[in-house]
Amino acid sequence: MRTLDPQSLPQHVDRLYRAAWALCGSREDAEDLVQETFSRVLSKPRVLQGDDELYYLMRVLRNTFLTGRRTASRRPVTAAVLEDVVAADPKPTSRPEQAIEVQELYATIAQLSEDFRLALVAVDVLGLSYREAARALRVREATLTTRLFRARKQVAAQLAPEVEQVRESTREGKTAGGVLSTGGTA
Amino acid sequence: MSQRDPQIDSELSERLRAIDVRAPQELHERIESLVAERAAARRRPAGWRLQIGGAVALAAIVAGLLISLLGGGAASKLTMRETVALTQRPATASAPSENARNGTELAVAVDGVPFPYWDERFGWRSTGSRTDGLDGRQVTTVFYVNRDGQRIGYAIVAGKPAPTIKGGVIEWRSGTPYRLQHAWGNEVVSWQRSGHLCVIAGHGVNPSALLALASWQGHETLSA
Repeated sequence: MRTLDPQSLPQHVDRLYRAAWALCGSREDAEDLVQETFSRVLSKPRVLQGDDELYYLMRVLRNTFLTGRRTASRRPVTAAVLEDVVAADPKPTSRPEQAIEVQELYATIAQLSEDFRLALVAVDVLGLSYREAARALRVREATLTTRLFRARKQVAAQLAPEVEQVRESTREGKTAGGVLSTGGTA
Repeated sequence: MSQRDPQIDSELSERLRAIDVRAPQELHERIESLVAERAAARRRPAGWRLQIGGAVALAAIVAGLLISLLGGGAASKLTMRETVALTQRPATASAPSENARNGTELAVAVDGVPFPYWDERFGWRSTGSRTDGLDGRQVTTVFYVNRDGQRIGYAIVAGKPAPTIKGGVIEWRSGTPYRLQHAWGNEVVSWQRSGHLCVIAGHGVNPSALLALASWQGHETLSA
């Protein structure tokens, strides 16, 4: 059992941002979600019961995300209001081609059902183990595994033509490992 | 389509794990500010912690929202970076008391526009205040807390004419338009009182409750 050290939190911002982006499907909403998550975590001293910080942050991110969705469903629909003065980061990544791909990928994930999305984000985006992800999402490990499998399948199906294309080119060019690149590295 | 090669799933997984997109610098700075602010709050005596910690955060939110909401003029040129800089400022004043001569107001006003006293009627008590300068205008903010621990900031911008505001949804109450918006994780209601821009913002507060507070005419009815 140990107390969460707030000073160690900024190192997780990038990973949490990616997770939030995949959950929300939009960079602007992801920024809000990450800020809100950290704000909650920092609101009082936190005790980690042998848990990894990232696992704990995923739990709070999930709760904040779900709470936000419930709140959003109750409030009136508003037009975008801050875009004229609050400039979104024009360079989320130093590689433009990757930015487009990431945007598409995360947008596809954001279309999944909530359960599938959370499972995919916890394991594949945030990098938690199945066990950690299951605990963070408060489901059984078997349930998480099923959701994850289905989520991957759905996303892969959505991206099928693109994935096949990249696989083909990977095979032809034969690179070691045969793993899809995230682009930009040629 | 339904019988997919498992390799694709594993490739997808690896592809997702390989993404190395960084969060915007502004977000990094905001989080670091939050961490620094909380660290400073914990070093203060306990009595200060509750009032000033919340006050600083809310003041930052309200000040930031004001900058973001104001349309036209130099305010529209402000960037998020500048907005974040406001979050560094400390709280400056303790909670204003109830106006001894008018039980529906607090003893603090901007250009004669008083802040409401909501404790008795709505259960929102004032916990602190601060004053900032934005774009040459003075902005006074009073913070309120309800019994559930929710906090809101009520800001009044000095000077006329009131800056124009864009976006949101308009709700009319007693002939006055109230603009409801959701921005930066906060519910926001803005409107004018005696030609002054007023903004109430709070996180996780029901917009209808904010609107009810904003449109309460008690203090103006009695003081008119």
